[in-house]
Amino acid sequence: MSFNGLKKFYQLLLKTEAGLLVALLSLMVTIAVIQVVMRNFMGAGLIWAESLLRITVLWLALLGAMVASRNNEHIAIDVLVNKLPDSIRYWVMRLNCIITASICFFIAWYSLKFVIDEYQYGGIAFGYIPHWLCEAIIPFSLFIIAVRYLVSAFLIKTPENLN
Amino acid sequence: MITLLVILIILMGFMGVPLFAMILAATILGFYTAEVDYTIIAAELYRLAGTPMLIALPLFAFVGYILSESNTSERLLRLTRVFFGWMPTGLAIVSLVICAVFTAFTGASGITIVALGALLLPALIKDGYEERFSLGLVTTSGSLGLLLPPSIPLILYGIIVQQMNLGQKFTLPELFMAGLLPATLMIVMLALWAAWKSRGIKLEKTPFSVKEATAAVKEAAWELPLPLFIGVGIFGGFLAISEVAAATALYITIVEVFIYKEIKLKALQKVAIDSMKMVGGILLILGVSLAFTNYLVDAEIPMHLFEWIKGNVDSKFTFLILLNIFLLVLGAILDIFSALVIIVPLIVPIAINYGIHPIHLGVIFLANMQIGYFTPPVGMNLFIASYRFNKSITELYRATIPFMLILMLAVLIITYVPWLSLWFMG
Repeated sequence: MSFNGLKKFYQLLLKTEAGLLVALLSLMVTIAVIQVVMRNFMGAGLIWAESLLRITVLWLALLGAMVASRNNEHIAIDVLVNKLPDSIRYWVMRLNCIITASICFFIAWYSLKFVIDEYQYGGIAFGYIPHWLCEAIIPFSLFIIAVRYLVSAFLIKTPENLN
Repeated sequence: MITLLVILIILMGFMGVPLFAMILAATILGFYTAEVDYTIIAAELYRLAGTPMLIALPLFAFVGYILSESNTSERLLRLTRVFFGWMPTGLAIVSLVICAVFTAFTGASGITIVALGALLLPALIKDGYEERFSLGLVTTSGSLGLLLPPSIPLILYGIIVQQMNLGQKFTLPELFMAGLLPATLMIVMLALWAAWKSRGIKLEKTPFSVKEATAAVKEAAWELPLPLFIGVGIFGGFLAISEVAAATALYITIVEVFIYKEIKLKALQKVAIDSMKMVGGILLILGVSLAFTNYLVDAEIPMHLFEWIKGNVDSKFTFLILLNIFLLVLGAILDIFSALVIIVPLIVPIAINYGIHPIHLGVIFLANMQIGYFTPPVGMNLFIASYRFNKSITELYRATIPFMLILMLAVLIITYVPWLSLWFMG
């Protein structure tokens, strides 16, 4: 694939990620409101709504965390590192990215093992949806976060080179 | 060897490794020493999907982001100004009240200073308040509403404590109720200070006019029912908090996008993504610290910590003072969400052993964090205000110090008069 094609593919991935996030949030609001109306005015309710909403929280959180790792926006104590002279600071930031990436790869690997265990064990979260499918976002998001941190170790985005 | 690694992990945190990664590293180390399978970490993360109360958090965060993207702050100012502006030091009181309400919705993310402060500061100065006083007031007010519903830090505290399976149970509405009087106390004390400070200064007042009042009410008509709805929804007992949050999110989206038309559909997407980025950051830290807390409890670390403190601190009175000092320092170093997630599981069991109710502890915790937002040298709101108002950081240090002392006094009162937080508990 040419560089341009690769770039387009990456843009598509970013759009999918953002679109999924917006879709899940809309779904969450809609289902929760339908549930309120049904429960309070019709004395009924969707049995699977509660489980679906709880799993949506997990997915929203991890997708949000993935998006936050695009530009290294995760909460960190950066008061000290910001005081360092630039020449050292960039190396510390690179090192931080590599450490973060390694930790995420490690956890992604064990989360994958967890999901495979759950697949073999079976078990239904709600409706026809098995637990492992709901959990699959955990290794996936950690893997993406790891890749992003690894990449930013090489392309450190600082206010200087962003502009 | 283990000690060395622990020091290394803490050092990593201070060198700017994201906190979630630092906590994960600590958890891996803990599980390694306890010989627990690492797959448990994923199982603990999955607990994020096992907490019904968490549903409210992304929804309220979304509501806060929408409100800060639209012109709600202007309407709120106009409205409160008509009704409170005629009072002595009316505008100062207006500033305190609307900042508190706005912060309760937007969770002291600095947006109160950026959106409301920029409107309030020139207005205060124009009415005749001293510049330094006005600057201090606006910066301090940026974190004032943390104890009012539906503030995200308050919800997060409730969730974390409920995860811990302690003997003393409480509900979110009870926690919300607990924050009401302490928050009012802070507002009243700051208002009294404003009155004292501006004695002898001839201040402009906005006279009450029926015409302006009707216009302001009409302009804000769609947003006015919101606090009432949330109040009734939370305390009325018909709806779960998550249901209140969902209904609010849907309503406010319709109002701002289709009625006021201040947020375009395209921009709404960005608001949704930005808010979920924040939620993701917080919940990832929450998820990994669920795993870490699990290790801590298994290793009986809160118990050891308690015994160690008990050996050195014998009275509840002294413990509370030390707790306040610790939390003030913590609030100045760590952002409120990380502080909650990391420290609450450690100190709640200890505080309970000293006979402090977890609801009361929550109020003390957040009241201290609120001051931490503008504690020199690194309080976040100092930097935001410095940037927004184009003033040097040292100028802001000087401007906020009297307010800090007043709020510290308020925290002492809140700490030693548990009734303020627990009056409704019977």
